[in-house]
Amino acid sequence: MNWKNVLRLISVDVKAGRLIRGQRLRRYRERRVFQYLLYGGACVLGIVIGLVAGIFYTGVSDQALRDLFDQGITSLFLSFPTLVLIFSLVFTMMSQIQRMGVRSSLQPPYWLPITWEEHTLASTLANLIGFPLAFLILLSSAIATVSIYLEQVPLATLTIFALLASAFIASTTTEIFRILQVRLIGAVYKSTGKAAVWVRFLGSMLFLVVFYVVWFAFTSGTGSVALIKGVAGAQQAVWFVPYVWLGMVLAAFMNGLLAQTVIFSLASFLFILVLFYVAVKLNTRFGLYEPPAITVSRGVYAPKVGFLGKLGFSSLEAAVMRKDFKAFTRRRELMYIFIMPLVFIIMPLMQYSGMFGAPVASESSRFLLAWVLLVPGAIMAAMLGLMIIGEEGGSVWLFFASPITARSLVKCKYAFVTIFSFVVMSVCGVVGILIARPSPDIATALLIESILLIFALGAVSLGAGIKGADFAEAPRPRMVRPLTAFVYMLLCLVLALAIFSPLLLHAVAMGYIPIPVLLPKIDLSVAVFISAVVALVVAFVFYRIALKNAEEFLLKAEI
Amino acid sequence: MFSTDETAVELRRVAKRYADIVAVDYIDLDVKYGEILGLLGPNGSGKSTTLKIILGLVKPDSGSVNVLGINAEDDPVAAKRQVGYIPESPRLYEFLTGLEYLDFVGDIYGVTVSEKKARIEEYLEALELEGREGDMISSYSQGMKQKTALIAAFLHKPKLLLLDEPLSGLDPRSARIVKDLLRKLTAQGVTTILSTHILEIAQAMCDRIAIMYEGRLLALGNIKELRKKARLPGSDLEDIFLKLTGTEDVREVVEALLK
Repeated sequence: MNWKNVLRLISVDVKAGRLIRGQRLRRYRERRVFQYLLYGGACVLGIVIGLVAGIFYTGVSDQALRDLFDQGITSLFLSFPTLVLIFSLVFTMMSQIQRMGVRSSLQPPYWLPITWEEHTLASTLANLIGFPLAFLILLSSAIATVSIYLEQVPLATLTIFALLASAFIASTTTEIFRILQVRLIGAVYKSTGKAAVWVRFLGSMLFLVVFYVVWFAFTSGTGSVALIKGVAGAQQAVWFVPYVWLGMVLAAFMNGLLAQTVIFSLASFLFILVLFYVAVKLNTRFGLYEPPAITVSRGVYAPKVGFLGKLGFSSLEAAVMRKDFKAFTRRRELMYIFIMPLVFIIMPLMQYSGMFGAPVASESSRFLLAWVLLVPGAIMAAMLGLMIIGEEGGSVWLFFASPITARSLVKCKYAFVTIFSFVVMSVCGVVGILIARPSPDIATALLIESILLIFALGAVSLGAGIKGADFAEAPRPRMVRPLTAFVYMLLCLVLALAIFSPLLLHAVAMGYIPIPVLLPKIDLSVAVFISAVVALVVAFVFYRIALKNAEEFLLKAEI
Repeated sequence: MFSTDETAVELRRVAKRYADIVAVDYIDLDVKYGEILGLLGPNGSGKSTTLKIILGLVKPDSGSVNVLGINAEDDPVAAKRQVGYIPESPRLYEFLTGLEYLDFVGDIYGVTVSEKKARIEEYLEALELEGREGDMISSYSQGMKQKTALIAAFLHKPKLLLLDEPLSGLDPRSARIVKDLLRKLTAQGVTTILSTHILEIAQAMCDRIAIMYEGRLLALGNIKELRKKARLPGSDLEDIFLKLTGTEDVREVVEALLK
């Protein structure tokens, strides 16, 4: 194994993040401060958390409370490896889903003198770069700091090693999953023929639903506390599962069982080696595997007139909208957008069913539940608008070269964003209303509010999406510059609150939201009317801004 | 061969810089209707930028561009409607099938349904893409992608074709078909400006050749005129090109590399 090759490959992965639109790429110089800001911040935050916990611990004189604290810390230490494993799995899997569409960008190592071992190790470690690594640094620095106060430095050192190993196990598992999935997709394409597109779409949706149900069951509400409490005990029960062996190492070490500590440490090390060996073998076998072509149609060409034309869209506008629909149902990395509405359906459903905490019952909770289920459309509009231009990626040259006007571009993209968001709103709304059964006037008001939010936020985010579009596609499509996304998401939040505030005032005045403030009663229809006026003004102003941005965008043609 | 004295593309004192790099250095160029003009030059000589400037994809720092009687800066959409363009490495929507992509491009240019159907079928057959048109573009080879991009550029019967390395990745048969097709289109009055590195293509296909180097237009004319300018009577385009661009030291470079 040539370690320099591994480092070089990881460095390529990190540097792929440089290709951000608007940056000066000629004589490019990296600002290392920004590069390491996330990790530095995580380290500082971890030390602060450790210091606060440590100072609190030394300040406690009551022995009972001190024992309780010790017990809590012990449980935490024991559950950390498993928690890091779950967290790293979630992030690395999500990262893999997003980068599915840019397979070609990852291929150069295949013709360079690099072994599969080096490639697999680099890929596994590079998976962890970003939030998983920052999370590791945060936990490790917190544990190291607090351990000084607890006088548990040896345990802390072992815990930190266990965390690193856990993250590596998670990432290697993701690597195995990635390779198998590519192979599996190939088999699915072959066996399903024309239906492959929809099989892939529904398969991905199913995967996301299952994934998030498990994730929320672990992390939401009381689930996370239950998880931390449960992990320590559960580890003992499932000691034969290799994924908990690192936790077992810590448990044995805490109890002074040296032989068990050594055995589980060796077993964990062996497990890591086996996992890595499997990943390397799978990469060697299927690393260069290209899934067979998806044949969507056969036979004579039959152009469609389409009903979009009947709705007043020109052939150009309708063509762009149809193309976008296909993009969002065929590109795996764009299917990510469906997570948000899924989350908004799954969470309340789980809450309602009592999977974490008590089931929802009261009238006010139903109101909130219905609200939660109607908002996804608005959030969808905000997210979709931001990415709808950047998702064009390298193919954007066709927009610059073709006779598309700014007016047509904004019209068809805005229509797509709003129509797509309406579909999401309808699905979520139906589920929400069926579960919460709010009164008809509240249901109608929420529906109108949601439509207004979609129109307003769609226009705001589309303008930003055009201005801040980022067409870089490796290592994963970015679609919008991070700073633009952050600033405009905040703006969307503020404007959404401004639009929704009349209805909030009504809810507070009616006692649906229990806040001990006396507010003048505002009629529901008046509240909706005020919201509508605000939303339409916002939509009009930002649609104009989007038009102006589109004119500049088409004129500059950055290709 | 169809050709009039009217100018289809007119560039006057056009210049473009990227930071401290001169991409196009005050060039004047006239291309007549029904003419095939070849832009020839080494890497980074400004060929692609010149094509992009003509289409309106890149705004020149100075100078004027007139395309088919339209000022590209004043009315870029009208100019683009008349032009078929292929970039150097065309990125297509890989999640669409070849057929869906061509249908999409046809709609973008407002080609009627019946015309679109007829032309797509003709071109697919001619360029041997039949049978693969229903497959997603992601599974196409580089040559198949290039063929799809070529069909997309021809689909709306443009009056001006701007082709950046159009034969790149094509098999000999398809390359021959494209060459013949361009000649026939020329006879119908279609103007073509193509950039290429391959001297044989330029010599075989183009009525006139413009040799570019470091953003400058070093020479413009047919092969006879270029020979005269280079003072190399009877020589081929390769020698003329090397002489005019001052890159004749090829033998020394090769020897240095072999050391």
